[in-house]
This record gives sequence, C-alpha cells and structure tokens, in this order.
Amino acid sequence: MQLSEIQQETLRGARGPGAQKAMEILKAYGACYEAARMVPVTSVHMAGNFPVLMDEGVEWLEDLSRNGTRVTVYTTKNPEMYDPEQAEELLIPTYYQVRQKRIYEALKALGVTLTYSCHHYLVGNVPRFGDHIAWASSGSQVFANSVIGARSNRDGDHVALAAAIVGAIPEWGLHLTENRKAEMVIDVGGLDLARYDPADYKALGWHVGKIIGARIPAFINIPPDIHIEGVKGLLYTLTVTGATGLVHLVGITPEAPTLEAAFKGKAPADVDVVVAQNDVDAAYREISSASEKRLDMVIFGCPQCSIQEIQEIAALLDGKKVHAGTQLWICTSRWVKILCERMGLLDVLQSAGARVVADVGAADGPHLYLKEQGVRVIGMNSARGSYYAHNLFGMDTWFGSTEECVRSAIAGQWRGKER
Amino acid sequence: MIIKAKPVTRGVAQGEAIVSRMAISFTGGMDPDTGIIREPGHELEGKSVAGKILVFPAGKGSTTGSWQFYAAFKRGNAPLGIINVKAEGVVAVSAIITGVPMVHEPERDPFQYIETGDLVKIDADEGLIEIVK
Repeated sequence: MQLSEIQQETLRGARGPGAQKAMEILKAYGACYEAARMVPVTSVHMAGNFPVLMDEGVEWLEDLSRNGTRVTVYTTKNPEMYDPEQAEELLIPTYYQVRQKRIYEALKALGVTLTYSCHHYLVGNVPRFGDHIAWASSGSQVFANSVIGARSNRDGDHVALAAAIVGAIPEWGLHLTENRKAEMVIDVGGLDLARYDPADYKALGWHVGKIIGARIPAFINIPPDIHIEGVKGLLYTLTVTGATGLVHLVGITPEAPTLEAAFKGKAPADVDVVVAQNDVDAAYREISSASEKRLDMVIFGCPQCSIQEIQEIAALLDGKKVHAGTQLWICTSRWVKILCERMGLLDVLQSAGARVVADVGAADGPHLYLKEQGVRVIGMNSARGSYYAHNLFGMDTWFGSTEECVRSAIAGQWRGKER
Repeated sequence: MIIKAKPVTRGVAQGEAIVSRMAISFTGGMDPDTGIIREPGHELEGKSVAGKILVFPAGKGSTTGSWQFYAAFKRGNAPLGIINVKAEGVVAVSAIITGVPMVHEPERDPFQYIETGDLVKIDADEGLIEIVK
C-alpha cells in the first residue's frame, strides 16, 4: 500500500506512539485487503462501552490516549452504559461508574466528540453522498452506505479510531465503486408491506440476513414511501444475522434508482430469494428467547429512539400506567431527551411510570447492571437489541411491535400476537 | 498437505483445529471468559475455541467484536490462530491488534480438507496452512 510522506513519518513514530500504533493497524489492515493507497475520511464514528470493552479494552484505550494522541477528523461516539444524570437514582455500582469515567477521560483526551449516540446522523454527524467515512457500529454503517450513499466498510472500532487519528483509511471494499454492485436479488413483493410495522421489517431483516451473509443484496418491491423507521428496522437487523455493509433498496438507495443501477449494468434475469410471510413469522418466533410471560421490563431504544418513536410511545401511554411490577425504559440521545422535555412528552411518560434515559442504547450498556438488579424477562421492539440482550447478558426476551410492547408493559405480562 | 493462503497478520501457530461452516460474531457470539461459542443454534454452540486453530468462513455481527476478542486474548481464551475463507474487517483487526496468526483466501476449500480435531499449522509469514493430521 502506498503511503504519503506524512503517513510514512507517522509510521516511524514522528507523531508519537499513539499515532504510530494507529498507522501500524491501518498498514496491516490495508495489506490484508491489498489496498493500493489510503483515502482521506471526512467523518468517523466509533462504538464500544464498558460491557464490550471490559477492563482490557479500557486499558487499551487509555494507552492509546497517552502522550497527546488526538483524532484529526470529526469523530462521534456511540452510547455508554448508564445515564450520568441518573446514576444515583438507578443505583449504578461505583465499579461501573469508575470505568465509564475512565473511558470518558480517554475519549476526551483523544478529542472524540462525546455524543454518546447511535443515531449520530440525526444529531450532527452527517456525511455527504460519496464521502469516504469510517463508521463502526454495524447498523449505522449500513445506513450510511445504503441511505446516504457515503462509503464505509464494516470497520471494527480499532480501525475506525485509527482512521480518526491518521485522517485516512485504506481504500478497499466499499470505498471502491466496482465493489458496490449488488450481488443478489431479494423480492419482497409477496408481502403485504403497506401494512408493515417497523417491527415487521426487523423480522424480515432477521430472516434475510441469515441468507445473504456478507453479500450485497438488492431488495425489489420495497414501497417507495416506506417510513424511515421501517428502513432503519430492516437495515439494522440485517447486520445482526448477516454481515453485509451495503444494501440496495431499489428506488430508495441513492446509487440504486433501478435494479440495473444497483448492479451497475445488466440486472440478472432471476430472483435469488422470494420472501414469504411464513418466513417473517418464523423470524418473530426465533427472535423471542423467553417462555415466561411475566415481564420485569420493557426497554426501547436499539438503536436509540428517535423523537418520532417516542411520540408514538407517549401517545400509547397517555393517561395509562405501566404495571407496578414492570419497568419501562426509553433509551435515547441527550438531544432527543431535551426535545422530549420541551414538547411535554417527558411529563406524559413520567406520569405513566416510564423512564427516559439518555446516553445509552437498549442493546448492551444497561443490561449488565439491570441483570444484577434482578431484571430477567424483558420485552423489546428491537430484534437487534433482543439478540444482544440475550446472547451477551442472558436476558430472556420477547420481541414485538411498539404497540405490543406498550400493551405488555401496562399488563405486566407479554401480550404480543401469536405468530 | 499444504494449502497456500493470504496472510492477514504474521507469525506461526500450531494446534488442534475447530471448524465451523457458520459465520461467527465475537460480540455476543463468544464468551471472553471461556472462549465458548454461545450463540444459540450455532454449529459450535457450547464448544470452546480457546487455544485452537479456528476455521470459519467469515465474521458477522457487531463491529465491537474486536474489543471482545482482545479481552478474550488477554484472558488466555482466544484461538491460537485463525483461518477464514474471506477476512471480514472485524476479524482482521482482532487478529491485527492481538498478533494472533491469521490467513485468509486459501487456494483450496478448507472445509474439504480440515476437520475438527486435525492438527493444523498456520504459517502467516509464508502464507501457508499445513494439515499435519
């Protein structure tokens, strides 16, 4: 891989040991994929909080941040594990507070913008069409490629952070136009998509993700007026059961106004996968891992709830009460929480017994201490969140629509439809 | 038998192979405290990859996987070496930051020649997989 003079100096240690380490990672990464050169990045997003970093990861980050290592590109950060403004109230153990504080100090020293959000493209990190970016967080990475048309590979956090420090990334994979072609056709025209809820799109994504693996699919017959929450639901779930970095939603993805455009030339005559409603129903059953109906908790926000999702939850809860034996949490960014307060939604939600927590997401952060506090059976409207809550933390999960989740939180029992 | 492959990292590792035809997610899919694959329904569910030569098609799932792999490595529960059909970014950087020998794009289908329990050597300096048996 060809390196610029500055990059070669960085590799020799001229910009300090942190930048040197970052350059070493990128050089090895570029060599693995036979990248010809590095391309400048305009935006970086990194993930990772204590439950996934563990003590060893915190130390790695602290080591990197010593000696004045700084990011040189606008870099935002995914959610942390607890809302610092509710730490006392939520009985967050000192052990975790100390570790989140250490991560905070390291990231601040590195110059990372501390958004603590996984909907960073809604709160200030918006690349443009064709931009080269490095977004870790597999869901938002596929969103950037497929909805915005910016170019990011499925970079792990260490690569994203290295790119933020060096300001460039090896040019391979989805950074190159010829690698952005669709590789298979998924026809969803047989489903009644006009009546699809975002949760239905998540179940659809769960099923299709298992089939596509790392290939780039082109979806045909997605309604052009699909709500953005449906798009997010589909894309974010595809990267849980699969590993694709780009999805062509024909008629929606900027690079795919037509199937021909998705294939950058001639579209194949045959469809590879035709999805039936049975497949989606089976995915619903597979996503839920619980058998006990009594609910300890309903948790929303994987990815963090947008203001539109919270408006829906508030409307469903208005004048009602969450069951005394069940907690209801809404995880979002600090920005959206402030907006909730301004719009009176916070009052509605709090009167109903719901809690809005900022700076966290419902996939990983809170489950570590929630489990220690006795939470075991949880209801979620996120297939992605259900996967991580179950597999990372051993939670028993029920998966359903927002409406089913709210209804269940009020009943204190899972009240989802039989599918 | 020797199969040529492309190096991802450097170094040599020899050990017992553990083979899966299914993709692996290090976040959620592998317990860093034991190296046990814990994804329900996974071909290797309940089996440990610690100290083994792990052969699988590619990574999948969360991009935070490299943190979990790093923690597993520091706790002595990472595989000794990795053979992938195609290195996915998260697996590649996991090997890069830990220095675990890793190769990908083998010239022959590894699933045809390597079975769980085989003694396998990865020479990532030379880009070679040797099946010692």
